[in-house]
This record gives sequence, structure tokens and C-alpha cells, in this order.
Amino acid sequence: MLRKLLSYKTPQNLILLIDIMALCLLYFYKESFDEFILISGIFLTFIIYISNFILLRTSSGDHYIFLIMTMLISIGIIMIYRINPFYGFRQITWFGVGITTFFLFYAVIKKIKKWEDWTKTYMILSFILFLSTLVFGVKIKGATNWIKVGNIGFQPAELIKIIFIFFLASYYSKKEKIMNTYGLIGIVYTYIGFLFIQRDLGTAMIFYFIFMTIFYIFENNRKLIYYNIIGAFFIALVSYFVVNHVQIRVVTWLDPWKYIDNKGYQITQSLFAIASGGFFGTGIGLGYPEFIPEVHNDFIFSAICEEMGIFGGIGVIMLFLILVYRGFKIALYQQNLFFKIVAIGMTTLLGLQAFIIIGGVIKMIPLTGVTLPFVSYGGSSLISSFAALGILQVASEEMDPSQEEDNG
Amino acid sequence: MFHLLSLIFRYLFIFVIYLFIFAIIRLIYLDIKGMTQVKEARPYLKLINRKEQLPFKVKEVYTIEKTVTIGRKKENDIIINDPYISNQHVKIISDEGSFFVEDIDSANGTYLNGDRIIDVVELKSGDRIRLGQIEFLFIEE
Repeated sequence: MLRKLLSYKTPQNLILLIDIMALCLLYFYKESFDEFILISGIFLTFIIYISNFILLRTSSGDHYIFLIMTMLISIGIIMIYRINPFYGFRQITWFGVGITTFFLFYAVIKKIKKWEDWTKTYMILSFILFLSTLVFGVKIKGATNWIKVGNIGFQPAELIKIIFIFFLASYYSKKEKIMNTYGLIGIVYTYIGFLFIQRDLGTAMIFYFIFMTIFYIFENNRKLIYYNIIGAFFIALVSYFVVNHVQIRVVTWLDPWKYIDNKGYQITQSLFAIASGGFFGTGIGLGYPEFIPEVHNDFIFSAICEEMGIFGGIGVIMLFLILVYRGFKIALYQQNLFFKIVAIGMTTLLGLQAFIIIGGVIKMIPLTGVTLPFVSYGGSSLISSFAALGILQVASEEMDPSQEEDNG
Repeated sequence: MFHLLSLIFRYLFIFVIYLFIFAIIRLIYLDIKGMTQVKEARPYLKLINRKEQLPFKVKEVYTIEKTVTIGRKKENDIIINDPYISNQHVKIISDEGSFFVEDIDSANGTYLNGDRIIDVVELKSGDRIRLGQIEFLFIEE
């Protein structure tokens, strides 16, 4: 039994094993044990196993990306539960919603044809969402990027990311463009401008990089690419001098120790946490990750490094690497141009988001607040990551020839 | 109790995570290896036309393992949705290591190196097979 469970030939069993181990461990955590955790833990393990099984049966495409995602989710939930059991339960609920979103997006994207024809719709939809964020937005942690409906808040930017990729894909997969390249660049920079107004710098960076990746691969006018890179440098410089927010991030990146008591507190605590972990970590529940503000959210990676050690951290990075590798592989094999671009976009989205936040918390690049996909706590980000993965799953399958015919 | 358990489990967790990564990489490796092997061992048809210029779906390479039929209908082994290709257009027969091409009464005919095929013809490596709007190169190593 154990041998079969440990066999590397069936990675699903390894996820099952890690979940069971975590359940055993958390059973003893904090003396006061309630049955609720047992039920939700078993529930979680059950969903992971079943959905892996369903996917294996229904999808002819790639099966690795889903497996990798469930591993990341498992690590994330263990960590979040350990930091704050209440958030842990919430995260399990969000995971259930996320899996539903995954299959929903998978089914809808696959069922409906002609996604490439709606360039204008994507554009208008994004503008509506941006404007509504500006009008109804609530300021949380320095960024006005939340809309609150009753008790439930959500980040429109997470949804716009996906629409944005669809917009770029539909623009480049059509032979008759609805506007010239300058129009496209204008629209992209308007989006980034909106994000700047909301002070959501991390998302602005993601938008820019996704745009540049797709632009670099598919634009025929090569000169424009260089102009764009120069333009970006210019914007970065100007924003450093004009926007106070940016300046703080850069200053604390260059020397956080000088501001350890205020601005640089978060990043220095993160560095302390990573350093105290060592190779194998302090062991789950034995470290002090709660010293870092926002540890369940943006700084989850530092908590993983502290309690699971640098090996655990490298493991997470490697999981993201394989995910990105699979994503590019999917894009290379996809025949349909629209889904090729979508696959590249989704892969860049997930990979870059991971890079930006992991690089941020280890002080490799200036810190910008984005979530670590699948690992961080947070409903909006988790659901949008699941949606991205669902779309990637569709892109990994061979498209129906009849659809291809309609394009021509 | 929890303390001790956690200290042991930290090694276990890392071990299982790395085992998982190893498992995934192994599966991916087997996938890639399987693909290249097929390409090396079997004869295949290579598309000569530029794929982007064709208004229908066609692959760059088709490997031939056994006898295959090409046509527009779903029953064929290789389905190509070219309007100039018949429902059942051509058959490539594998017989003891040699390959033969046979036109199955197609409307527009099949051409081997420019000549229309009337009977069964044996294929050599480097032969060009034209049907409908597309042209394949037959390669046998």
C-alpha cells in the first residue's frame, strides 16, 4: 500500500500522501482540535483526487499542468492554515469554487467557437471594468483596486488580465485588423495608465510584460518593439520621480535596513524569515512567519522558506518552472493561432506573477504586491489563476478541424 | 508531541515534493522520448506546401505505421478537409517493409512525381505525392 502510494509513477498518489501527512500534522497543531479541519481536509483531498481523475478521462490535452497546480495548492493551504486556521478554511472554500471555475472555463471556452472575433467586445468590457473600479473602488492597502458588493470584495483587475490576453490574441490572430498597431499600443498604455491611477503597480507590470511578450513574438514591425522598451524605461524613470509609491518601493529595495522600523519592515522581516529557515526549515508550526505583515498573502513564499526550508522554496520555484515549460510546449504545439497566443499569454501571466512576487520577497527586484498564483490566500487571484489554467487546458487540446476551416 | 512530529515531517514533506517533481519530469521526459522515437523509426509523409497558406487543417508530418487511407471522410486514418480531395482518396499500403500507394478512384486523381497514378506503385524515399491542393514528400530511412 505504502509502496504504491510512494511510487513516482503516479504523481496523484504523492499529492494524496502529502495531504494525508499534512492532515496528521495539523491534527496535533494547537491542541484545540476541532472536527471541522478533519472534514474539510478529507474534503480537499477528495476533490483533488476526483478532479484529477475526471480530467484524465475528459481532456485529451495536457495532464501535467493540473497536477502541478494541485501540488502548489496543497502546499499553499497547509501554510495558510498554519498561519491562520480561519483563512485556511476560507482558502479551502475558494479552492472548491476555483475547481468549479476551472471546469466551467474549460467547458465554456471549448464549447463556444469564434472567440477570436470579439476584439471590440473585449476592449469595451475591460474599459467598463476599469471605469467601475475607479468609480466604486475601495482603497485597501494603498491601492484602489477592489470593488465591494456587500461583504464580498473582488478585484476587477484579475478578470481584466484574462480579457486582456483574449484581446491581444484576437487582435493578432485576425488578418484584417480593426486598428493599426499604434491604436493597439495606445489602448494598452491606457490600461496601464488606469492601473497607475489605482496604484496597482504589480498588475501594471504584469500587463506590460504580457503585452511585450506577445508583441515581441507576433509584431512584424520590429522597430516598434525597441521604441516600446525605451518608452517603458522612460515611464519607469518618470514614475520614480513623480509617484511617491514607486519611490518607496525602490528605496526599500536598495537598502531596507535603513528603514527597518517603518517602510522597510515588511521586507526585512521576510529576509529574516528566509534566513532563519536554513536548508530544511524550522518545521511546520515551529517558525514565526506571523511576524511578517501580509504573510498569508503576498509573503507566503517567505513563510514556506522559513518552515519548509530553502529546499521547500526551491521546490515551489521548480514547480512553477515546469508549469511554464508545459505552457510554452502547449503554445508550440497548438495549431490554432488564437489559442496559441492565448496559451502564451496565460503562461506568461502565471509565470511572471510568480517571478515578480518571489523576486520581490527575496529582494531581487523591487517589491510589488501581487499574489503567488495558487499558493497565496485570496479569492479573486485564486479564481483568476484557475480560469487561466482552464483556458490553458483547452489550448493544450487539438482543435476541431471544422473550426479551423471557418477561419480560412 | 507536535514539536517532534513537525521536525520529522519537514524532511518528509521536502522528500515527497521532490519525488513529485521528479515524477512529473520523468513523465514529461518519457513523452518527449516517445515522440522522437516514432519520428526516427517509421517512414513518414512530410508536407511540402507552406501550412499557413492552406485554408484547412493539415499536419506538418504524418507517420505511417501500417496501411493508411487519406481522404475527407471521418473513417480515414488521415483526414484532410481539402475540397479537392475525395471522401476516400488514396491508400498507402505497408507490406513487409515496402510501401505502395494506391488511388481509390478519387475524382481528381493522385500524382506521384508529377505522373497520375493508375495502378499500385511502390514508393521510394523522396517521392512526391500530390493530392488535391497539397503535396507530400515520402521519406523512409
